[in-house]
Amino acid sequence: MNATLDKTSFEPRLTAFVCNWCTYTGADLAGTSRLQMDANVRIVRLPCTGRIDPLFIVKAFERGADGVIVSGCHPADCHYTSGNYHARRRFAFFKELIEFLGLPEGRITFSWVSASEGQKWREVVNDATARVRALGPFSGYPGTELPAWPAAGAPAPNPAPGGGGER
Amino acid sequence: MNGRTISRSQLAALVDDLVGSGVGVVAPVRAPDGRLDYRPVARLEEAVLDGGLPRLSLKSLFLPPTEPLFSFRKSGPDVAIDSVPTTFPPRLVLGAVPCDAAGVAALDKVMGWDYRDELWFGRREATTIVSVACGKGDASCFCGATGNGPAGTRGADLLLLPLDDGFAVEVVTPKGEALLSAHAGRFGEPPNEADVARRRAGLLEGRVEPVGSLAPVTAWLGGHFDDPVWDGIALRCHGCGACASVCPTCHCFDIVDEPEGVTRGTRRRNWDTCQTARFTLHASGHNPRSVQDARYRQRVLHKFSIYPERFGELLCTGCGRCSRACPGGMDLPDVLGAIAARAAAPAGGAA
Amino acid sequence: MKELRDLATKLLAEGTVNVVLGWEEGPRGVRPAFATDAAAAGRLVFDPRCTQNLVPYLSPRRTQVKKLGKAAVVVKGCDARAVAGLVRETQLAREDVVVIGVRCGGVIADPASPEPLSPATVADRCPGCNSREPKLADHTVGELPAAPPGESRRDVRIADLEARTADERWAFWQDELGRCVRCHACREACPMCFCERCVADKTQPQWVDSSPHPRGAFAWNVTRALHLAGRCVDCGECERACPVDIPLGLLNLKLARVASERFGYTATDDPAVPSPVGSFQKDDAQEFIL
Ligand code: SF4
Ligand code: SF4
Ligand code: SF4
Ligand code: SF4
Ligand code: SF4
Repeated sequence: MNATLDKTSFEPRLTAFVCNWCTYTGADLAGTSRLQMDANVRIVRLPCTGRIDPLFIVKAFERGADGVIVSGCHPADCHYTSGNYHARRRFAFFKELIEFLGLPEGRITFSWVSASEGQKWREVVNDATARVRALGPFSGYPGTELPAWPAAGAPAPNPAPGGGGER
Repeated sequence: MNGRTISRSQLAALVDDLVGSGVGVVAPVRAPDGRLDYRPVARLEEAVLDGGLPRLSLKSLFLPPTEPLFSFRKSGPDVAIDSVPTTFPPRLVLGAVPCDAAGVAALDKVMGWDYRDELWFGRREATTIVSVACGKGDASCFCGATGNGPAGTRGADLLLLPLDDGFAVEVVTPKGEALLSAHAGRFGEPPNEADVARRRAGLLEGRVEPVGSLAPVTAWLGGHFDDPVWDGIALRCHGCGACASVCPTCHCFDIVDEPEGVTRGTRRRNWDTCQTARFTLHASGHNPRSVQDARYRQRVLHKFSIYPERFGELLCTGCGRCSRACPGGMDLPDVLGAIAARAAAPAGGAA
Repeated sequence: MKELRDLATKLLAEGTVNVVLGWEEGPRGVRPAFATDAAAAGRLVFDPRCTQNLVPYLSPRRTQVKKLGKAAVVVKGCDARAVAGLVRETQLAREDVVVIGVRCGGVIADPASPEPLSPATVADRCPGCNSREPKLADHTVGELPAAPPGESRRDVRIADLEARTADERWAFWQDELGRCVRCHACREACPMCFCERCVADKTQPQWVDSSPHPRGAFAWNVTRALHLAGRCVDCGECERACPVDIPLGLLNLKLARVASERFGYTATDDPAVPSPVGSFQKDDAQEFIL
């Protein structure tokens, strides 16, 4: 467990959308290498960054995420040759749009993390978590707030039969 | 006129009284872009009385663009339902445009017909509507043809008619009477009858209504579902639904269940409109209103035939918002004129 | 005007086309016209009130218009970019439409307004326009009028927004988008929103809540703006169609600038120029990616 976890202070929730071939494997390497890192990130694995629709990110915020990480293979390394190039253009538009709409820079982190970069994944996670922690909880939708995610470690109030909590 | 008068300063004081006693006062307010919206106000100065039509009609205060019907959540093995309140804190609309107030009254019929819509009537009962006679009509208005007119009282509890300083006050309903007697000190002597009559007539001066009587149109429509008048009537219509959004009487809604995480969600109702292709699309892929002509015909028929047949009144108050909002240049008076001409033509008379 | 009417009449008479999409005098200013005979062709107009883009009527979804037969469409420079967009994205075969270009000196924002063209009434997209003479045209009519009057108000508004803090921008847009009723008029009037089934209409899964609450209004407007990024032709129809006057043009223009600054793309009426989405350069800037 994370030694720095303090249940009385704000613990941000981050959702990471990562590609199967590079970043997911890199994150796995970080785990098997027993690298210590912030435990605030929930990973969603997708085949390719090209499959990451910006709506996934919007949805994550709607469902209570305070921050999002998007990560995949470095340029020239895409398993599907060009998925990450297309994604890079799409995320350039998305990032500029969403900042123009007033989402503070720092709530969304984009990165390239290869299968061998377990160490880099740790840095991405720790830095993103620190940035979001500094920004505070995302409460961008006044009047339609969703119930808070259960505090880390605490049992979900209404556990679904399969053990899933509010998410 | 069974009325009184109220000066501007007394009206301002009345607003202060009401706000002070916890009544929410809603009035047309100037948005930064210059348009009007019905919004809560704290003082009379914020309100724009007789400034013309707000962007969205008064119906949005009784049937909001979206509202929760109930929430549901998993509770152990069961599902728990959290209902929404159907009673509302008291509210006063100040400066309703007469054609907007009339729309709310028209909708009472359908909202209380086979099923009494608790949310609609909850808000209706909590709300007192004070209309201000309208001196801002333009060439798209045809409130005269629909039987309302710029000083129409339908749907209003009180009607204010602008005088030089302040307003003549016409009491329309017991609710209006109650407001007046609860704040009797704020109201002055009855106005000069002749002056009121002159001003009332002045509201119509120079107004050329784009359509005449709607009675022949209404009579003709019922038997002419398949008339050639509909062919190509909506070529320029985008099916965008802007007309229904701004309409004071369009009331179609969609009901959706929105999950909010795995174990809970909310059922909401949201505005919808017959002008979009999706409105009648079946799960099979079949669409009984497959072209825009058929969708636009539904709009005309519902307003000028179906609703009058069932409820004895038009589903249109003549506010002209649809024509102004339409990006495709569809103009309802123009369409009604074409139908009237068709109805008057010898061949058009036959069913 | 005579040149336009004569051309339309000729195209109809010789059977080159069955319908000419243009503008005519309507009960509220000018309105779209579907001229199928000489009489209707003789009523076509073009003047600074003709702000409407007629290219949405060429969308494959407009089955009623399609039934009228082969069409000619009258386009201003900005509208011609929409024709190019449909051709580029294979929604329209170039040979299936006759394009009549009109030389343009700017239009007023509201086609029903009786006011003349002036810095106060000019449509936001016109000042500084560099495509007043459509290139993608089979015929071009009229003399080139003087350049549109006034200055772009949008540039000022975007600069003003960019100078604010993120929280202030968020508050500004929440207020604007707070009026959204999710009618999707912005979509239906857009020449480039031609999808048979919009992602916002899909329910399984439902990526975009259909409710016009802050979540739904935000998700929809992000989606619309983003799906038009690098595709929007800046014709202004979405903002004109919006019944609650949300300044959608600011979002479009912001993304058009991204397209131009990052990818060197500006909306063009040359269908051969690839769109910045669906293409890429290996060395695209990636300073925002760690
Ligand atoms: S005209 Fe259409 S949208 Fe309006 S109430 Fe009737 S069916 Fe509904
Ligand atoms: S009539 Fe006009 S506003 Fe109504 S759906 Fe058609 S284009 Fe839209
Ligand atoms: S953008 Fe250019 S071509 Fe289009 S209406 Fe304005 S001046 Fe004319
Ligand atoms: S997004 Fe708006 S301005 Fe751009 S092409 Fe579509 S309607 Fe025109
Ligand atoms: S047209 Fe305006 S109100 Fe309608 S969905 Fe688009 S942004 Fe929202």
